[in-house]
Amino acid sequence: MAKNNKYPQLEKLPLRASRKGTNARFGGLDIFIFVILILYVIAVIFPFYNAFVISISSEYAYFNADLLLWPQEITFDAYTTVFASQQLWNGFGITMVLLVLGTAYQLFFTVITGYALSRDKWFGKNFVMNMIIVTMFFGGGLVPYYYLITSLGLYDTIWVMIIPGAIDTFNMLLMRNYFASLPKELEESARIDGANDIQIFVKVYLPLSLPMLATIGLFFAVGNWNSWYNGMLFLETANLKPLQLVLREMIASIASNIEMPGGPNVYSEGLVMASIFFTIVPMMCFYPFLQRYFVKGIVVGAIKG
Amino acid sequence: METTLIAKKQSKWHGLGKRIKQARFLLLMILPAVAFYFIFSYIPMYGVLMAFTKYYPRLGILGSLQQHWVGLDNFSIIFNNDPEFLNVLRNTVLIGLGKIIIASVSAITVALLINELRMRRFKKTAQIIVTFPHFLSWVVLAGFINVLFSSTGIVDDIIVALGGTRINFLADKNFFLTMIFASDVWKEAGWSSIIYLATMAGISPELYEAADIDGATRLQKIWHITLPGIKATAILLLILSVGGILSAGFDQIFNLYNPLVYEVADILDTYIYRQTFTNLVNPGIGTAIGLFKSIVSFILVLLVDRIAKLSGERGII
Repeated sequence: MAKNNKYPQLEKLPLRASRKGTNARFGGLDIFIFVILILYVIAVIFPFYNAFVISISSEYAYFNADLLLWPQEITFDAYTTVFASQQLWNGFGITMVLLVLGTAYQLFFTVITGYALSRDKWFGKNFVMNMIIVTMFFGGGLVPYYYLITSLGLYDTIWVMIIPGAIDTFNMLLMRNYFASLPKELEESARIDGANDIQIFVKVYLPLSLPMLATIGLFFAVGNWNSWYNGMLFLETANLKPLQLVLREMIASIASNIEMPGGPNVYSEGLVMASIFFTIVPMMCFYPFLQRYFVKGIVVGAIKG
Repeated sequence: METTLIAKKQSKWHGLGKRIKQARFLLLMILPAVAFYFIFSYIPMYGVLMAFTKYYPRLGILGSLQQHWVGLDNFSIIFNNDPEFLNVLRNTVLIGLGKIIIASVSAITVALLINELRMRRFKKTAQIIVTFPHFLSWVVLAGFINVLFSSTGIVDDIIVALGGTRINFLADKNFFLTMIFASDVWKEAGWSSIIYLATMAGISPELYEAADIDGATRLQKIWHITLPGIKATAILLLILSVGGILSAGFDQIFNLYNPLVYEVADILDTYIYRQTFTNLVNPGIGTAIGLFKSIVSFILVLLVDRIAKLSGERGII
């Protein structure tokens, strides 16, 4: 009995614990699971920790310590350089533009398409649906895409990172399923009141789907924050490169040691690690509060998709 | 009965104008999507014709077709005269298949561990932490990995402290695949486990209660109830991932590989990219490899869907 009191909260849990027998003791298997999970969590955290240690240690400590498990000769030089770097701030600015413009643009087109396809039979619906499904199974590949973008005049413009992403088929279908799951009576009664399809969408269905919009919007936002691929393919002007692309070029130059912001003799490992934190800290701050929205997105998608 | 049927059939053609008018607002909403898919998906599909030409950008597709039609020469070149291509294809299948298997096993393992954990607060925290790496880009991961596993990095320092010798993990052909699989697990296992956890939460509690009455141990319950409960989900996810075998993860490989490990690391997508944009091989060749990849992927999807339906699971098409 005394042993059970070690984890009194377990007795009260109406959750999973009760399913598998409330009276089960916290036994060897529980300890095993706990230890494995703790090790897994440490393995996930360690690269962040190691990066942080490197970013605030001196170059001398990095190269000379036998084992740099905690910060040595603490210095914030790397962060000073990062915060003074024109290149990184410029990339940050571009990424913010993508984040705001790109996310709004993607949400708009993805949601209206999802709504239209969620409505009952209308002229041309099957045709459009098939047209979209085909693109999920077959594509032209990188090279034709490259020449298409070039001939559209998007090469080396900021639009190349926004315009081609208008609709994400997976999220669009998610949205469609969500709209289709809302009661049809809403549409019918609004129609009796004389509303047309656009009015029904904006005034009736959109307000009801805000949680789903938030989820999809978050996925778009993360995608835009992390985007570098189209930028790498199509951008030449350094001032147009988003944060991730600037970071990518810095990482690539660790090996070859070229053109680091802050001059040639800078401690590149520390600088790159500090730049990584510059890139991911905004996400690390928001993620714990937003995690449930992300989870909802994939769980809904899995059940309905 | 019959008259209504006939009336319906007639109306398909008769009220065309009326039906378009009825749907005008929905058509207005769908118009951007039609334009979008037409431009960004269907024009590149038409662009695969480049695979049958020696392509010259200034001539465009039609011009190249008229003046430099080469038939199946590009395919013959990659299959007969390009020893690198077959190696790349082998790498792609190995990495793509390996990742699918390792990813599902690791995701299911994590889901089981979290599901069986009986400390609620730690469970929540652990879930937030292990799902986070999914939201990092491969650029950031490459930064972590390059520094962790470089010859001055902490991993080598630990190996030396334990009495071993330094290994240059990212430049060593023997370790590169392990790095690819391990980093994929680090990034995705936590996130992919969510879908299995949701499925596990949906398993009827009565099954567990009945097992308790029969005196089943926890391991027996996992084996006989939890695992069969997620089988359908696991199979569906496997089917969905088969179409992507030949993609094998451009972002990951491209950010991690280097010339020293091309032999084991190069996949179709990175090869197409390098041939076309770095080695400046005629774009027709890159298009041909891309077309080959699309066709094989499509056949794989059809095949797996067929097999799944024959064995009584839910298909996807």
